[in-house]
Amino acid sequence: MAIEQSTGSSNLVDVLETVLDKGVVIAGDIRVGIADVELLSIKIRLIVASVDKAKEIGMDWWETDPYLNSQAALQEQDKLKEENEQLQKRLEKLEGKLSEDSRLP
Amino acid sequence: MAKLVYLYGIIPKNDSYKEKLSTMKGLDDFHEIHTIPFQETEAVICHLDEVQYGEKELEKKTNDVKWVHEKAFHHHEILMKLYEEFPIIPMKFCTIYSGEESLAKKLDAHQENMIELLEFIKDKEEWIMKIYCDPSKVRENVSEQNTTIDQKRKEIGEMSPGRQYLEKRKLDQLIDQEADREKDSFASNIHEALASISLQNEVKKNWNKDVTGRTEEMCWNSVYMLKNTAVDDFLNHVKELQDKWEPSGWQIEVTGPWPSYHYAKIG
Repeated sequence: MAIEQSTGSSNLVDVLETVLDKGVVIAGDIRVGIADVELLSIKIRLIVASVDKAKEIGMDWWETDPYLNSQAALQEQDKLKEENEQLQKRLEKLEGKLSEDSRLP
Repeated sequence: MAKLVYLYGIIPKNDSYKEKLSTMKGLDDFHEIHTIPFQETEAVICHLDEVQYGEKELEKKTNDVKWVHEKAFHHHEILMKLYEEFPIIPMKFCTIYSGEESLAKKLDAHQENMIELLEFIKDKEEWIMKIYCDPSKVRENVSEQNTTIDQKRKEIGEMSPGRQYLEKRKLDQLIDQEADREKDSFASNIHEALASISLQNEVKKNWNKDVTGRTEEMCWNSVYMLKNTAVDDFLNHVKELQDKWEPSGWQIEVTGPWPSYHYAKIG
């Protein structure tokens, strides 16, 4: 039986939390440092969300009345900006926490 | 030129692997995935260019979120394909050796362990369960049905308006606490029922909404190691629980089977 599909975003977390956090460790020769699952999921979602929304806005501009939709697009952009800012803040907080955590006592 | 070795996982010695693997491209989308025999096992690997995947270059790559996103999924997809055919010991993402000799040395040291492990996981499956809830719905139910809260509300109704204001705020906090308790006890009851069907289980971290990107709140996250023969039983049980609890806002979601990320352990 294949992995039961749920929504894309929860699948992202499922894969990251297993592939990055679990699995057998037989120390390799090349040292690799990868951000933790929390930070990475947020960053990935941030990128995916921006691309998707930008596409939506672009479509509106090309396909419908430019005046009305540039207004709508501006509103969209504001919303997007706000959302990005919120996520950015959260990211900074996490990064701050992370660098504190990794600091030697 | 010397080549680095990227290790995906270990499978039992098998004669049919060659056709199965021949079409798969490795992590760099260039070198092919193939196996190297080690006594009774085979290591599934791909070569990587030493210049492009040396420590410094790799650090740049792993700092690139898009790269990690794409490659972590590549790693997972390859393991899933292999897992359709063979029991597999999955390696952590980005396990890279300086060459085949170095890999051989490491694997030789763990050979016995790996044979035992492959034997152990071959008739078992790993499943993950996550429970999500609508927090406002839980809160509402608690607020309506909890007898302590009901009692408190009656008492407050008889107080002076000034005190009522303060006491109502306290009551709100109490409802929050009771709602959290309700989430935890609901989820752990479900978990106990599923754990009794499984060989092993592990409770994992709940991720917040920023991580999951969902509007519902994750209130449970756990993994189960099941005997092959118990999987139907497990899934039927999950289905019953889903049907029973979905109308009240609880979403019970299972995914699997996963390669034994949680239960294949060495050392």
